[in-house]
Amino acid sequence: MKKTLLIFVGLVSIGLSACRKENTFDGPSINEINSKFAILESFKVDKATADFENSNAIFSARFNKIVSWKITIKGSISKATKIISGESKVIDASNATWNGSTTLFPLFKTENCTATLLIASENDSASTTISISKTKLLPTGARMIANFENGLDPKWTKFFQSGASMECLVKADNFAPEGTKYLNMGGTVNWDWLIGLVDFNANAYNNNVTFPFSTNPENEYFNVLIYGDPDPKTNMTKALFQFKEDENSDGVFDAAKEDEYDYSIDVNWIGWRLVSVKYADIVTLVNGNPASPNGNKQHNPDKIGKISFLQLADPNLGFARCKIDLISFTQNKALDL
Amino acid sequence: MMMNKKTIFFFVLALASLQGYAQKGRKLSFIGGARSSVFSNALSVSDTLSDTTTAKNNYGGYTLLDLGFNIQPNKQTEIMGMFRIKNNYGGFWGSGVQFDVRQLWVKGVVGNALRYQIGDLNLRQSPFTLYNQHADQLDSMPSVFKLQQNIVSYEQFYQNNTWRMQGANVDFGLSFSKFLKEINFNGFVTRLNATNFANVNERLMTGGNINIVQSNQFRFGYTYNSTFDLKATTANNNLFSNTIHTFDWSINHAIAQNTLKLAGEAGISNWNYSADTLAPVLNDYFVNAYAKLYLAYFHTNISVGYLNVGPDFRSIGAQSKDVNYNAPTLFFNRFTNNQQLRPITLIDMIGNENIYNRTISTSLASENEVFNDILPYGLATFNRVGAYGKLQFQSKNKIHVQAEVYRLNEIRGQGSDALKAFSQVKLNSKIPFHTLIGLANKFEVQLGLRLQQTTRNSIYATENIDYKNLQLSLGLNYEIIPDLELLAGFVQQQNNGNSFITERNEYSEVTYFRNSNYNLSQQIAAVGLRINFSPKAYLCALLQQSSYQDRSSLNNKAMADFKINQFGLIYNILL
Repeated sequence: MKKTLLIFVGLVSIGLSACRKENTFDGPSINEINSKFAILESFKVDKATADFENSNAIFSARFNKIVSWKITIKGSISKATKIISGESKVIDASNATWNGSTTLFPLFKTENCTATLLIASENDSASTTISISKTKLLPTGARMIANFENGLDPKWTKFFQSGASMECLVKADNFAPEGTKYLNMGGTVNWDWLIGLVDFNANAYNNNVTFPFSTNPENEYFNVLIYGDPDPKTNMTKALFQFKEDENSDGVFDAAKEDEYDYSIDVNWIGWRLVSVKYADIVTLVNGNPASPNGNKQHNPDKIGKISFLQLADPNLGFARCKIDLISFTQNKALDL
Repeated sequence: MMMNKKTIFFFVLALASLQGYAQKGRKLSFIGGARSSVFSNALSVSDTLSDTTTAKNNYGGYTLLDLGFNIQPNKQTEIMGMFRIKNNYGGFWGSGVQFDVRQLWVKGVVGNALRYQIGDLNLRQSPFTLYNQHADQLDSMPSVFKLQQNIVSYEQFYQNNTWRMQGANVDFGLSFSKFLKEINFNGFVTRLNATNFANVNERLMTGGNINIVQSNQFRFGYTYNSTFDLKATTANNNLFSNTIHTFDWSINHAIAQNTLKLAGEAGISNWNYSADTLAPVLNDYFVNAYAKLYLAYFHTNISVGYLNVGPDFRSIGAQSKDVNYNAPTLFFNRFTNNQQLRPITLIDMIGNENIYNRTISTSLASENEVFNDILPYGLATFNRVGAYGKLQFQSKNKIHVQAEVYRLNEIRGQGSDALKAFSQVKLNSKIPFHTLIGLANKFEVQLGLRLQQTTRNSIYATENIDYKNLQLSLGLNYEIIPDLELLAGFVQQQNNGNSFITERNEYSEVTYFRNSNYNLSQQIAAVGLRINFSPKAYLCALLQQSSYQDRSSLNNKAMADFKINQFGLIYNILL
């Protein structure tokens, strides 16, 4: 028995030795970390002119050690900014591919851009240029609800309170993050939460009573660009999006018997921001608190008959303002602008 | 939970009901304990600019009662429920009182064969599967500090290297008349963390052990441990799992009066995430084998062993640490005008229950090279190969000596092709002078020494390491008169040299090495008087001082030197 055990232990030991992975060492080289910084391959981009409808631009550089780096791309006309950052010794397609998207809005236009590489820890930088011939398209499968390029569609339902300094109109100026126009809404209403609303009815787009979204709420993402500019005294603007499901497809939303899901956004930032949320993650709100929906209690994006945008403010504070653009639904992932 | 009148009413009602229950002939017993503790702490900081922003004195204390009801409704079943009432000094009745359930379990025997326990469990397997290593603790802790450490152990349910968990455990055994003596089976399932219903999956740990005893001379066993995320508990389909299989054996052979034991354990581990392409799949193995010779004439155990734990060996149950080095300290958490976070020092390691984990962590716990650079995860420390020797001696007059030597190397380099070499020497001794010089009253002295050294010699000078960690301890326990003891203790720790602190990502992969240079000195000295009312009840007055001095030039003396003086009273009783 003891001999058998010794043989068994011997065999197990040999077997175990054979299965260990032989690596050189774990982590970055300490010698490299402590060496003097040097750029081994200069910073460049793989194309002088980018057609973002059909391809991406790839930045590259190589250093002698791991460093934190940041590439800032700025549009000469739009002033749009894209920031790509990382920590590595190689900049390549795996960490520095630009698909024409934006970090700080507005969106890029067909224009010349300057890309600057900054390695702050080494006080070193380099730059290159790239020209955009075609800007990025919305992803395949994306459904535009409103980009306001044609103004306010008469088939949408609109309501604005008669408060002080009220403004609700489509504007065309340098604020436009995409295209040339956006919706500007704001004013003071000190007797009600509502400043104004726009209902985007499904039948404004086609003859159907519901939007042509898929049945899977896990695959549908709601996206909107919002410009925040809150009054510093009140810091109060709420953008509420309501998704009303016409579950029996009778063309009428019955609030007592059908599901409504609500997405409330406190617009407390300054500048444009892309807000995205998966439809399955949107809950029902009653007076701002989560509640049980009144219908089949299932997210049915294919049953959405109406999307409402409401601008709200606490009547005690009264004032609210924000700008809205590019309301859309995308499939499988959030919108990447 | 804050106590209110309704809670008190139901508590009293429950007590009355239980009394009635006991009177019906079923067994009911009360167990638990009570403790009252008050401490006064004073901080003095030696900084280039005098610290004028943080408080320098701190007072606090509490009284608590743990009351457990042990109910035996029948011979096969035992139910235990323990409640805790705790009142921090400064709180007042009905407002500052905490009322908690501290323990709850049911255990019993089915068919006089299968034992089970459901609820709170104290679990331990082998040192490579599920084991609370206490790797950074002083082996020879003077009694005056042990008394504080015992309170931490009681609070965190540390018992013989166990971890506190919740779940179910079963064990049973079979006896044989031929070929085999017995086979024992043990299995458990516990819940490590609950789902948040959004993206954190339910995480469970299961384990089992088969122990086959062929005779008093030979036994072998198999141990299994698996930590895994439960599928479909959230929409997150990236499921984590860490599985370990081990075999262990033990052969005893008598040589005249002496005994030779050949024993060990070997196994494999797997660590993976099912859907995360960035996460590595780690597979590796370990072997720990030793020979132990008991020399009866010399009352001495001598053992030599071989240890090989692969760089990718991962075992959550064995590589969780009792100390959470990222936890805030109980007092003087921030100090100096810059509001620096006060580092964890010896005074915290000894008696600060805030920094101790009650149960195992769900990711690789942070190590701290100030306290242990060689075996931060005990025997389960990955990336170590080498040999060790141990000697244990106890004379007829109870002099106890224990010595250990470890000589280990890395298996895979860390940021360098050159491998680190580790050596550790430990020497602990307990000398009962009262038996040596014939004193009626107890007079016992404890001595301890631990020296750790890490070196690395690379072709690149920037990768070289020469780091030492020396820990010395001295303890005294003198019974002045029966049941009145004088306790004293002193611990000195010195860290010198350079090292590289490893930074890891969420997958335990190394991402960076931060250069550190140590010239750090810490001391703690304490004296106390303890009155023993019974073996289970004492009152102790303590005076202790700890100091922290960072003389490192490379770190530009990043941490200000400081001292903490502490006076405390502890009354402790076990029911």
